[in-house]
Amino acid sequence: MVITFITIFAIGIAAGVVGAILGLGGGIIIVPALTLGFGMPMRTAVAASTVCIIATSTGAAVAFLRDRLTNTRVAIWLEMGTSTGALTGALVAAMVNQRVLFILFGLLLAYSAYNMFRTRKEHSRPEVVPDAISRTLKLGGSYYDKALGRRVEYQVTRTLPGLIIMYFSGAAAGLLGIGAGIFKVPAMDQVMGMPFKASSATSNFMIGVTAASGAVVYFARGDVKPLVAGPVVLGVLLGAILGARLMMRMPASKIRLFFMPILAYTAIEMIYKGVKWW
Amino acid sequence: MVVAIEPEEKAEHPIELVLARLLRLGSLVAAALLAVGIALMVLGHTGLAPKLITAGLLVLLGTPVLRVVAAAVIFVKERDWHFALFSFVVLCAVAAGIYFGKGM
Repeated sequence: MVITFITIFAIGIAAGVVGAILGLGGGIIIVPALTLGFGMPMRTAVAASTVCIIATSTGAAVAFLRDRLTNTRVAIWLEMGTSTGALTGALVAAMVNQRVLFILFGLLLAYSAYNMFRTRKEHSRPEVVPDAISRTLKLGGSYYDKALGRRVEYQVTRTLPGLIIMYFSGAAAGLLGIGAGIFKVPAMDQVMGMPFKASSATSNFMIGVTAASGAVVYFARGDVKPLVAGPVVLGVLLGAILGARLMMRMPASKIRLFFMPILAYTAIEMIYKGVKWW
Repeated sequence: MVVAIEPEEKAEHPIELVLARLLRLGSLVAAALLAVGIALMVLGHTGLAPKLITAGLLVLLGTPVLRVVAAAVIFVKERDWHFALFSFVVLCAVAAGIYFGKGM
């Protein structure tokens, strides 16, 4: 009993560290570990994972906010998309053909992974020219990069396409019970031209709100089992605080290298699920 | 290495620090409740432990929602009407999600 507690706690710490560094909730680690490793029902695992997403977001966000890595203005703008998307996702969850969704998301992820691979060596990116909305709302920002040892100034562009992608990433979150950070980071980094670290920190900040609306449903249904969720969430909370500190000192290119295989793996997994159920 | 934050920047964007403080408070309270709950569980107090853990999980759940409320209040105070409206839209969507979610 105590051994199981400690193992679950350790998995939580690992998921929290990885989640904070990559701007994800860590569900990619927690769900397979609890279902495959401990033979727990999927509903229990997904419910625990959803609360963990909030833990990663909250734990890591503190460090990122203090170091001004998070772009709160971009976050609030994009949260309009994720929260209305999550609402739609939760409402249409019963009606939509999940196979089609899985395949679509898989393809989108594969494309993002390819894009990240293609641009992996670009240290200096082409100049980002802010669009009209970005200028009006003053979405551009700057942060001090501890790995580079200098301040990085950046602009934000394609604000509307970004918002639309966030709507669909929110819908994915609502449908699949995930934080959908895996869609949010490429949307900011690849589409809106934000630096990877700012994208990851801002994604981390945003996923808590999306996950909170989903977690309420799991709580109401009684799927959140305190004895499972307790140790894993405490682990994630501590891991996320640690991961956030690590991330600020890591070079962005190394973090991208971490991110690509996870994107590719999730893409294959999603397409496989979709095809399997065809 | 601690990076000093320029004071004029601090005055310009106090929102990050306010939200950081709120999130830290939420995660500390949640972590404390979870830790005490798990410790009691290991010691064999099976009655109180799950309640404390559930309370910790609920505090964690409420923290991001409170964060949006705090952001909305700050934007209204700063008369930043665009962002106040955006925060309001987010809150409405979350509230609707809770409302519909309970019925599912």
